[in-house]
Amino acid sequence: MTRSPRPSAEELQALDADGSFRARLEADRSAIAQLSETGDLEQLQRMVHALAGAAGTFGYAEVGDMAIELDDRFIAGGSVTAVDLARLLGALEQALGKPGKSA
Amino acid sequence: MTLDHGAAARDAAADTDRHRSASQARVLVVEDDPSIAGLLGRELRGLGHTVDSVGFMEDALLATRANDYALIIVDLGLPDGDGLDLVREMRRRSIDAPVLMLTARRRVEDRVVGLSSGADDYLVKPFAVPEMRARVSALLRRPSRLRSARTAIANVVVDADALEVTVDGVSLALPRKQLQLLELLARRKNHMTPKRMIEEALYGFDDDVSANSIEAQVSKLRRALGAAGAKVALETRRGIGYRLVGLDVVAN
Repeated sequence: MTRSPRPSAEELQALDADGSFRARLEADRSAIAQLSETGDLEQLQRMVHALAGAAGTFGYAEVGDMAIELDDRFIAGGSVTAVDLARLLGALEQALGKPGKSA
Repeated sequence: MTLDHGAAARDAAADTDRHRSASQARVLVVEDDPSIAGLLGRELRGLGHTVDSVGFMEDALLATRANDYALIIVDLGLPDGDGLDLVREMRRRSIDAPVLMLTARRRVEDRVVGLSSGADDYLVKPFAVPEMRARVSALLRRPSRLRSARTAIANVVVDADALEVTVDGVSLALPRKQLQLLELLARRKNHMTPKRMIEEALYGFDDDVSANSIEAQVSKLRRALGAAGAKVALETRRGIGYRLVGLDVVAN
């Protein structure tokens, strides 16, 4: 499985100097939580796919790896359970609670 | 897999230095994810390149019609279509700029299809920024496949690679901006080149371009060509642009 790169703390700071990606993660966390409730799988798949591509690039490695795992499962037509989504939300919570920790 | 960002960064920095000394390029980024598009724009501008960024296939095709790009970075999952179709269409239109495909599709067969559609390289998201920089530098070092670096018009030959102009085989030294201007006009010989296209080729978005910068460069180039005995005319169409023609064409 593709894994997210692990940039240094210094590189992390430069990647999201204005904090806009972190703000996006906050918005994604809320949106994914809401979509988990409504069960809109199509929109959920789009969000997970985008997160799989972007999170690791910006140094949020655990979030990125989790999203990649779910994205691969969506692509393969497999099932993504409420537990899976709870794990992704947990990774997002942890990353946002402790910036840079997931890298 | 854990990447060695330190070593990659050092390699990329060396590439960057070499590239910066060679030329600054105009790059088109076709990516609908604003975070990734923003990151690419910042990084490429940091390398000294001029960057245009669009999020739709249709806008990408319009941009390639208006500008001559040294590199095009294409994300595969665009809102109005598949990036693979965009690359095929660009190749069909003889747009020969190197294409770096960017995608979150990670399967080997996806990469194979991408490369066989006309892409020159493939970068899987998530990516390490130093690797992206290194791949961009490598693609920009490659000679264009279809376009010859040498363009001839009447007794004038412009060699874009050697950064040299000759008139009747005799070297004509020109300042860089005039050389870039002549290369562009020679490549579009006999066709009117809009002033905006010249501005974009010679200056970046952030450069301070005064109202008569282009006129001044054209005037100097015209004098230099005349003094060297070039059998060409650099015509001005007020409000439209400029055209370089061989004097035999003018006579006809």
